[in-house]
Amino acid sequence: MSEEKKVTELGDVVSITYLTRDNCTFTKNGDFLSLTVTLPKEIGPDGEETGGTKTYDRVYFHRAFPYDHPYAFISVLDRESVEIGIIRDLSDIGPDAAELVKSELDRKYYAPVIDRIVSVKERFGYTYWHVISGGHELTFTVRDVYRSITKVTQTRIFISDEDGNRYEIPDTEALDRKSYRKIELYL
Amino acid sequence: MTELYDIPKEVKAALEAKGIPYEKVDITAKTDLDDGCVPCDNYIFVADGDIIILAGSMIGRLKRNGIFKQPKPVRHFTELSYTHYSLSDYEEFQVEELLSSARIVARRRADADSLPRTELIANLSNTYKNEAYKFVRKINALIKGENNESSGDNNEDKKDEKEELFCPKCGRRYADPERKICMRCMDKVHIIKRFSIFFARYKFQIGAIIFTMILTSALGILAPYISSGFYYDEVLDQNGRFYGKILLVIGIILATRIISILVSIVNGVISSRVAAKVTYDLKKEIFGAIERLSIGYFTNRQTGGLMTQVNNDANNIYWFFCDIVPYSIVNVFQIIGIIVIMLIMEPVLTLISLVTVPIAFFLIRKVFAILEKYHAKRYSQSRSLNSLLSDILTGIRVVKAFSKESEEAARFDVRNKSLAAANMKASVFNTTVFPFISMLIYISNMLVLGVGGWMVIDGKMSYGILLTFISYMNMVYNPIMFFVDIVYMLTDCLNSMNRLMDVMDAVPDVVESKNPTPLGEVRGEVEFDNVVFGYEKNRTVIDGISFKINPGEVIGIVGHTGAGKSTLANLLIRLYDVGSGSIKIDGVDVRDISFDDLRKNVAIVSQETYLFMGTIMDNIKYARPDATDEEVITASKIAGAHDFIIKLPDAYNTRIGFGYKDLSGGERQRISIARAILRNPRILIMDEATAAMDTQTERRIQAALDNLVKGRTTIMIAHRLSTLRNADYIIVIENGKMPEFGTHAELLAKKGIFYKLYKLQLEALRNIGIEE
Repeated sequence: MSEEKKVTELGDVVSITYLTRDNCTFTKNGDFLSLTVTLPKEIGPDGEETGGTKTYDRVYFHRAFPYDHPYAFISVLDRESVEIGIIRDLSDIGPDAAELVKSELDRKYYAPVIDRIVSVKERFGYTYWHVISGGHELTFTVRDVYRSITKVTQTRIFISDEDGNRYEIPDTEALDRKSYRKIELYL
Repeated sequence: MTELYDIPKEVKAALEAKGIPYEKVDITAKTDLDDGCVPCDNYIFVADGDIIILAGSMIGRLKRNGIFKQPKPVRHFTELSYTHYSLSDYEEFQVEELLSSARIVARRRADADSLPRTELIANLSNTYKNEAYKFVRKINALIKGENNESSGDNNEDKKDEKEELFCPKCGRRYADPERKICMRCMDKVHIIKRFSIFFARYKFQIGAIIFTMILTSALGILAPYISSGFYYDEVLDQNGRFYGKILLVIGIILATRIISILVSIVNGVISSRVAAKVTYDLKKEIFGAIERLSIGYFTNRQTGGLMTQVNNDANNIYWFFCDIVPYSIVNVFQIIGIIVIMLIMEPVLTLISLVTVPIAFFLIRKVFAILEKYHAKRYSQSRSLNSLLSDILTGIRVVKAFSKESEEAARFDVRNKSLAAANMKASVFNTTVFPFISMLIYISNMLVLGVGGWMVIDGKMSYGILLTFISYMNMVYNPIMFFVDIVYMLTDCLNSMNRLMDVMDAVPDVVESKNPTPLGEVRGEVEFDNVVFGYEKNRTVIDGISFKINPGEVIGIVGHTGAGKSTLANLLIRLYDVGSGSIKIDGVDVRDISFDDLRKNVAIVSQETYLFMGTIMDNIKYARPDATDEEVITASKIAGAHDFIIKLPDAYNTRIGFGYKDLSGGERQRISIARAILRNPRILIMDEATAAMDTQTERRIQAALDNLVKGRTTIMIAHRLSTLRNADYIIVIENGKMPEFGTHAELLAKKGIFYKLYKLQLEALRNIGIEE
């Protein structure tokens, strides 16, 4: 009875590999990134050995919390979409690597930002949008407009069009009055 | 040449200026983002073993050469960059899907001493994704040196290539490429015409409705004349023709009133009859259209809303044809009639009285537009409140388990408040604006009263006529209000019609053969021959699987979650059709078998058990309504359902479904197994059928099923490998491919994937103290 069983901490149950500048190196390979990672050797329950130094010719990045932390908790995946590890924060991997990873992330999560709304026309259940994004005119079609607008916060929205493209309005309050009026109804 | 994109002549010229004749091009494609994700036009050509990317911007505008001439596009191509890759440097092209965009990348042929390198070829938005996949497939075939003409899916490609994706009128892409209808350019008349077919059957009744309506409104126009002008000038006036004949005139007034009431009763009776019939017809047609569609249609759309929408839409369409159209006709008549009468009575006064009409009309329109906004806002608020409410109530167990009642109440409160606010705004607007509009009408009344009074005093007009005039004037406003209101109802109705057209026009992916091969007595031989399939175009879920099951054999399919096991079952029962390859039953392609034959001979018990509202008996008999009670009990016994059913107070007559007895997952599963067994099919598919049961029950059912499967071709999809011990063969599916195939013993000896799975499960069992 004297031996009280200690409650296991969640962290003891599963261990997460965090990538830092001490255990990984990102290098540009072609137009994308390769990764060399050194992890402590471990022998799993089925006798398989994991760990050691390994090089991946191409790695992929995925945000764990794309809206809350765009540059933290980045899952790093190999060609087979198996997670190699997680970058807890881009500053953990050193400034040069952070820059490389950041540009990969920015490319992956790229969505045109709508600066101004020229017109939103509703016709037969579809809405036809004509907007200005980064100085370019864009037109797209949205089906079922209420369901196609995702509110990330009260003022930040994503609009998904018929083809699966996403458009972002980072702050609806910051839009000019005329543009805001055009989408007010759908918010 | 494979033209995935029609290259404009300006770009062709730019290409030829580089010394590459267009005839030499093998593949053309287009993407729409540059390296920095800025919109641009990248034209991709494959010619002479090279990939050429001509990037730039194509600027087009419409130019009209005369007032009545169709505008013609004038285009200009500005070249920004010209890139050149040698095809022989690369071993494979790929499309990488990102979030809102995609890119085409290529893997360079590896040098011995360096890492394999991947390079970016072009960026694109999701709009061009499908074309990019086609392009990559073509170019990879070219690299591998495959002969394009002989590849299996060439036919499909040819069809796709010529697909018109753009509306010829406005140049925008079709919202839904399957339906070549541009919502922007669609003709309203065309839609209305299509739906008027439903009403053509009742044209006499609808004619009668319109006739009675006109009659009622004509009597309505007559009434003020008799009761005011005529009454004053001809009955009460000593000089009148009907002086003193009060009773007679009152009688006439009463008679017209009674006739008018009778006519409107007739109208009401006819329209309610037609209403019921037309909505019935419409819903029947729509439901028929929905049922005809393949399962793929439903997975692409939210099915939940589909049925309610269909109901609302059918009602909307009814309103359009039985309410809006007749009332419009009647109101037009009424307005014209009244104005004509007014003009005959007093032309000058008419003009004065109508002065405020245009102002009122525009004002009302504006007000309605704002009102519509408020309504929409209120509607979306109440929708969000309702969805939250149903969300919380469905998940009430979880809410209570985590004691989150107060948080949920707070969440509810927020939405409730905003709904209340929206309601208040709308009501305040209503109550402030409408008095103003009535004021406007009142002003014109005053005008007429003033000018008319003058005229009466001057003896230019009788008092009776003035009174009649004023009553007519007030009658003009109702039809005008109607026309303002109708604009919004009209958009609603047209939207409804369009949605229904969407359902009715949707082409089922899986079509029953017109001349099916009769199966006769089925032996139960099943053959998968190089089957390739993907739920979405270009995404392969099943990749070249072939196997053959002899009649009466039991075959097991194992694999990880999402490996494609259930997909194989879905393909066999033709919920979907194979992309290429074929599936045969007794040597006949399933696509040549009638649905009736196929479903009579193949039954599936899946992970997903759906029981309909009704009794347990109804649910089991669903498979074969003519089954006897004994057969139902036998089937339930085999499925292990009998024991628990008999313990229920109402046994087989227990009502299940919404608001009734709630069965556990395992119980539902056993009922659905009984349903499949009752069908007595030659081919039985068990898709994780016993997954939701405890081991003991599973064993019991398994033992009964072992008897059942004798002589029946059985496909067993299972996680628990112990379930498959009696299978003649086991197929291992991984990533849509079939890496292992053989008997239980053979696969164990192979020490591959199956062996690994087996060992893992054995380990797990040993850990909990069960030795196999």
